Amino acid sequence: MEVSFRREIGDLRLGAGDTFHGEGIMAVTKALLQSGVAYVGGYQGAPVSHLLDVLVQAGDLLEELGIHLETCTNEAAAAAMLAASINYPVRGAVTWKSIVGTNVAADALSNLSSAGVIGGALIVVGEDYGEGASVIQERTQAYAVKSSLWLLDPRPELPTIVRMVEKGFELSEASNTPVMMELRIRACHVFGSFEAADNRRSEFSAANRIQQPATFDYARLSHPPVTFVQEADKVHRRLPAARAFIRDNALNERFGPDSGDIGIIVQGGMFNVLNGRLAEAGLSDAWGNLEIPTHVLNVTYPLVPEEITEFCAGKRAVLVVEEGGPDFIEKEIGQILRKADLNTVLHGKDVLPMAGEYSPVVVAKGLSAFLSRYGRNESARLDDWVDAVCRHSEAVGRALSAPLPPRPPTFCTGCPERPVFSAMKLLRQETGPVHVAADIGCHAFATFPPFSQGNSILGYGMSLASAAAVSGTQAKRPLAVMGDGGFWHNGLLTGVAGSVFNQDDSVLVIFKNGYTSATGVQDVPSSLPSEHGRGKSLDIESTLKSLGVKWVETVRSYSVSTMRKTLKAAMDAPEKGLKVIVADGECQLARQRRVKPANAKAVAEGKRVVRTRFWVDPDVCTGDHACIRLSGCPSLTVRPSADPLKPEPVAHVNNDCVGCGLCGEVSHAAQLCPSFARIEIIQNPTAWDRFRAALSARLIRLLGGHAPAPQAPRPAAPQPVPAE
Amino acid sequence: MTGTASRPVSILISALGGEGGGVLAGWIADAAVVAGLHVQRTSIPGVAQRTGATTYYLEILPGTDRTPVLALNPAPGRVDVLVGTELLETARMVQAGYATPDRTLLIGVRRRVFTVAEKQAMGDGRLDPGRLEEIARQFSRRAMIGDLEAVARASGGHLNAVLLGALAGSGAVPIPADAYREAVRAGGKAVEQNLRGFEAGLAFARDGAPDAVMPETGAPESSPFSAPDNPPVPESWSLHPPEAVPMIEAGSQRLAAYQDDAYVALYAERLGRFAGRPGVDGAFLSELARLLAVRMAFEDVIRVAQLKLASARLEAVRAESKARAGDIVDVVEYMKPGPEELVSLLPAGLARRVLAALERRGWSGWSIPMNVTATRFGGFLRLKLLASLRGWRPRTLRYAEEQQWIERWLSLVDRALEIDPAAAREVVALAGLVKGYSDTDRRGRRNFGTIATRIVEPALAGDLPPGLFADAVLNARLAALKDPEGAALGQTIEALWASVGPDRQAAE
Repeated sequence: MEVSFRREIGDLRLGAGDTFHGEGIMAVTKALLQSGVAYVGGYQGAPVSHLLDVLVQAGDLLEELGIHLETCTNEAAAAAMLAASINYPVRGAVTWKSIVGTNVAADALSNLSSAGVIGGALIVVGEDYGEGASVIQERTQAYAVKSSLWLLDPRPELPTIVRMVEKGFELSEASNTPVMMELRIRACHVFGSFEAADNRRSEFSAANRIQQPATFDYARLSHPPVTFVQEADKVHRRLPAARAFIRDNALNERFGPDSGDIGIIVQGGMFNVLNGRLAEAGLSDAWGNLEIPTHVLNVTYPLVPEEITEFCAGKRAVLVVEEGGPDFIEKEIGQILRKADLNTVLHGKDVLPMAGEYSPVVVAKGLSAFLSRYGRNESARLDDWVDAVCRHSEAVGRALSAPLPPRPPTFCTGCPERPVFSAMKLLRQETGPVHVAADIGCHAFATFPPFSQGNSILGYGMSLASAAAVSGTQAKRPLAVMGDGGFWHNGLLTGVAGSVFNQDDSVLVIFKNGYTSATGVQDVPSSLPSEHGRGKSLDIESTLKSLGVKWVETVRSYSVSTMRKTLKAAMDAPEKGLKVIVADGECQLARQRRVKPANAKAVAEGKRVVRTRFWVDPDVCTGDHACIRLSGCPSLTVRPSADPLKPEPVAHVNNDCVGCGLCGEVSHAAQLCPSFARIEIIQNPTAWDRFRAALSARLIRLLGGHAPAPQAPRPAAPQPVPAE
Repeated sequence: MTGTASRPVSILISALGGEGGGVLAGWIADAAVVAGLHVQRTSIPGVAQRTGATTYYLEILPGTDRTPVLALNPAPGRVDVLVGTELLETARMVQAGYATPDRTLLIGVRRRVFTVAEKQAMGDGRLDPGRLEEIARQFSRRAMIGDLEAVARASGGHLNAVLLGALAGSGAVPIPADAYREAVRAGGKAVEQNLRGFEAGLAFARDGAPDAVMPETGAPESSPFSAPDNPPVPESWSLHPPEAVPMIEAGSQRLAAYQDDAYVALYAERLGRFAGRPGVDGAFLSELARLLAVRMAFEDVIRVAQLKLASARLEAVRAESKARAGDIVDVVEYMKPGPEELVSLLPAGLARRVLAALERRGWSGWSIPMNVTATRFGGFLRLKLLASLRGWRPRTLRYAEEQQWIERWLSLVDRALEIDPAAAREVVALAGLVKGYSDTDRRGRRNFGTIATRIVEPALAGDLPPGLFADAVLNARLAALKDPEGAALGQTIEALWASVGPDRQAAE
């Protein structure tokens, strides 16, 4: 795993009287323990990975509290896990990245929410929306609305987040409904503090197991005919119970004066952005002393109609600040107002955009439009600020004269996936373009320069499935790429089994790097077992063969020439059917985390260690940078040329190089150029090493080479023969 | 303190994944807690969490009983301190309004990490770092920009610790230096190193840094072919414009090392055809001298072996590899000459027959991957053997072809000079398209050939309006550098002839 959570694990043991300092997502983990959960599970993904990561390392604590931990193979498995709370009075929580994870979990979620729960069930989703998001832009709210799940969207500060976790379980139990809590990226990473409470043990748990299975009760099954009963139960009993709980426990909050002729209704998660802009307008301050009545929805589904009507009554207008589309909340508020026959004017998506993140500037523009319509001259301050921001940007733009180049993320230094894309690019140069079905994972970075390849991305582990109809309708075989994370998450069944079943003629490259690296280097079933790891060494090759894949080749990912040949063989093979190439190379981040300290220790102990890295000979390099166009490695960069005859910058390998070997492989595979050299540094050489080196040096000197340091002066150049 | 009791101090850190921006933000937050302040921090760690741009944002208020409502997003124009670890990303933040002249203290590192777009250009795609730094200075209240990476190296600490010290020393945040030190100690990792870095950063803030020139990634490497100190200038060279003399000198030295005195004489003779002619000023002759020397010192296998034997290399490698005293450093060369490169060492007639035979048998794709350990006797011997073919070089096919190419190019320059010196300058520059090895070399020659045939020759024949000649060649050359596939070049040429009129379309 990427990070060590020793300090955080200590914090998870804090009790009443202690102050917890930490990130939002850690506060959630702590709140789960304070809520007495019996089981926790989920699937990793930014920004909620750490919730599980810390628990994976906290084995002792889990044992003490009797918590069962499951690192699920995908979000559907995590959602299905909540079934324990259908029949048994145990609390459970699962987590994943939304919207994608919720999509994968949708089937289980529908069935879970229909049956309902008796033990509190909480789903913590990372709402990956706006700046920094890595997935399609949709809202989790849609799932809450359609499946009758309650959705918490707490104000992004630790005490509120923690309270919402604790109240979330109570709400779930009071209404027999699973509860979701969404946290945006910045809220997951927000560092703050809250007053801790003691951790609670669940009555029934891994430590105190339930002795008898639940008695057979058809009503607990999501199966007709009780599904019709459950549907009605959602409407007639669970929804009113939830609304009563939300109201009675004041889960939603009021800020600002009790009365006023205009008001604002805001998602809890958007409150701080709103407050910042109100402060800019002179209508609030850093302590949230708002001068406009504001209703904060820490629960965005369901709304409590009485709260809305009570807030809106007597106001000329309200503004709904609801990020993203569709405008679920605004529409529902409109309906509530209409049914209550209130003529408060409703604003929202008329002044704020339907699409895109509500950044300070975006909110300021909408807020200003709203304020000015109701004669509040504070809008002028917002307008002035927005104008100044625009003028500033334009002035900087003019001073820059050209747009700044983007800096998309790329493969890490020494990444084992980069060489495979180098091989694919070389093959493309040789045989022309190929349809590439891309996937989710680090390898999606190959869609950026210098590789710029991939024709579609259809979801995690979906690449092969997304190439099915392409393979049936195109002259050339399509090529699908997938990580081992995607393979175990979904690709095995959706892609491989489906492809074999249908005899599709495709090529699949599986990156076997040993982890789900993009989410923070978590173990997958095929990871090797390790001290703190959860890997079980499941074998991808034999799994493929047992599914009936006949053409399987495993190639070391750094062997660019072999990879190119194997790719070509797969594309040209006369036999029909799926051909799989397993690109074998461990995630370099994980590897370096292990190898670096081990090598440093060995060197310090005086053991012989050979360190390798690459080097570009600046005199041989001609400054064309073809090597960079086949690599893009962060450690392969450029630097000024010292040669007055060749002023263009030369390629240069910096000291971050981990000696993965790609540079050499590429310069061979592409017959690129002879500028590359591998440097081998023998640290703590043995007597034999020293003897051999000395012998070589002597022989070389005999032939007049490698003048010993200090370097002999260079002979003066002959006089040029003048013109004329 | 920039903030007031009612307004937080806001700090935005812009870093690249893996640079320790998160640790820096963590130290600041921990130090604020130590100092009894209320602090909030959050981040957009970036997709890769490795190499993409990342930002960290903090707000700090005096500690009170009340819980503040702090922002999670920085607001443009409302940032008190912007810390940037890299000039381009710093400029990006400035453009987004996270530094403004009325408010922001900008702590920046004079350092570039090139984007892929800049690195992969076929020539020089780098942004002007001076411009980026100027932007940072112009649009901030106060700028503390220095080569903090060098400061970090000198101190033995990490860059983020130096930045922490610079922040502490700036006085922009009401946290005493000891609180930062305590936060670093509490971090528990590489404490001594980080404290050294912190103190160095503190000193930088106090004393400022010597205004060093922009160091691009490391100092330029010493080249065995760089001009020696005060080269003697023979009297007769003084006939040339003085500004061309240094380049002619450098070219002569290059060719003397490359081949022999006779070859230098050939160089001088070729230059002599142009010196003193109307339109040939110092700049013209200097550029011609540069490209002529580069083309005459073409990179055949012999040349590569010569370069790899240069004794200065080993010192450069040792220095760069951070080898300690007593370590043995080996250099393993990656060479993979193809049949063309090897066969072209044969005399022209024979070489052509062999190449044709290889072509017939489909063996042209064949090549020998060689990993030659230049630092060991066996490898050295092989290189020495190749380099010793220097005297044989003038008899090789490659030599004959290169001289033929050079003469064609010079003749185009010569004829262009008669019509339009500005166009002749551009024809000179065309030789810059030819460089590299193998496919890269072939691509360059193809592009040169295309431009020569489709623009230069027609223009010399009078098919192109004289006013268009120079610009047409320039635009074509720039287009050839846009993409390796040559798509832009094709389009540019089509567009040129379309604008001139279809009846004047030159034959392919």
